[in-house]
Amino acid sequence: MTGRAVLRCWLALMLLLAATTASAFVPLGSLNLPISLSIAVTKALIVLLFFMELRSSRALVRAFAAAGFFWLLIMITLTGADYWHRTDARAPIDQAYQR
Amino acid sequence: MSERALGIQYSTPAQEREAVTLGMWAFLATEVLFFGALIAAYLNYRIWFGSDFIAAARMTKVVLGTANTAVLLTSSACMAMAVTTFDAGSKRAPVLWLIATALLGLAFVVIKGTEWFLEYREHLVPALNFDVARYGGVAEIFFVFYFCATGLHALHLLIGICLVSWVAIRIGRGSLVPGGSTTRLIGLYWHFVDIVWIFLFPLIYLAGRNG
Repeated sequence: MTGRAVLRCWLALMLLLAATTASAFVPLGSLNLPISLSIAVTKALIVLLFFMELRSSRALVRAFAAAGFFWLLIMITLTGADYWHRTDARAPIDQAYQR
Repeated sequence: MSERALGIQYSTPAQEREAVTLGMWAFLATEVLFFGALIAAYLNYRIWFGSDFIAAARMTKVVLGTANTAVLLTSSACMAMAVTTFDAGSKRAPVLWLIATALLGLAFVVIKGTEWFLEYREHLVPALNFDVARYGGVAEIFFVFYFCATGLHALHLLIGICLVSWVAIRIGRGSLVPGGSTTRLIGLYWHFVDIVWIFLFPLIYLAGRNG
């Protein structure tokens, strides 16, 4: 990476940070969360591809890098498939705090 | 400048470079799941409790949180400059960039500590002084997540600061020379801690600001 490329990445990260904080104060209802998470993914990709050099890495290194995030998505999806659709039969900790 | 000795288990420098890089990424994958479990729990509780949980997030200090994100992103850029200048063969520049990285990391921890102190004064610390009668049980669950997530993140950052300082000292003394992977691998760890914060920031500080 050249110094100029690092500077460009830093500027992009700062602009995205300003955009995500500003967007959080705009009343968009349930759209705010997907917007802020999309910006977070974009920022993470800049760090992964450029600062962590995945753009110029071999496929095996990229596969190792992707594996953790892939299994994380499985964990979140399968956990959510249960919890996000429960209407009764709460876990004991949830019964302590009524909605 | 002395030649770096190749580890006896490797036949070429390229092979060594790829092996140690894969090792670091394997470690980082376990860290993704470590912090990911916390984030999965957060998403479950956010969907489960809805507006009460999101209302609790409004009590976090969004100005300090945003400033801290800028500090950490800048520290990552400094780390990238340290790796770039080190690979280019410069001896003084990477040390200065690493010192900047460590100082920005320290600034992050100081700002984070200030937030924790303010939250302590507002009786928002679960198991220590959380005011359930005032804020409610759902808010307490949010702050359990908040302190676990930011505490573990700050711990990772403190480890990172120690590692970055160690690399800066070794480069300064001339015991690390270009061609090796130590600086780059510590950089990968530092950037990873940055990525964790990139996701914690909107979940903790930006939830519930739209109402």
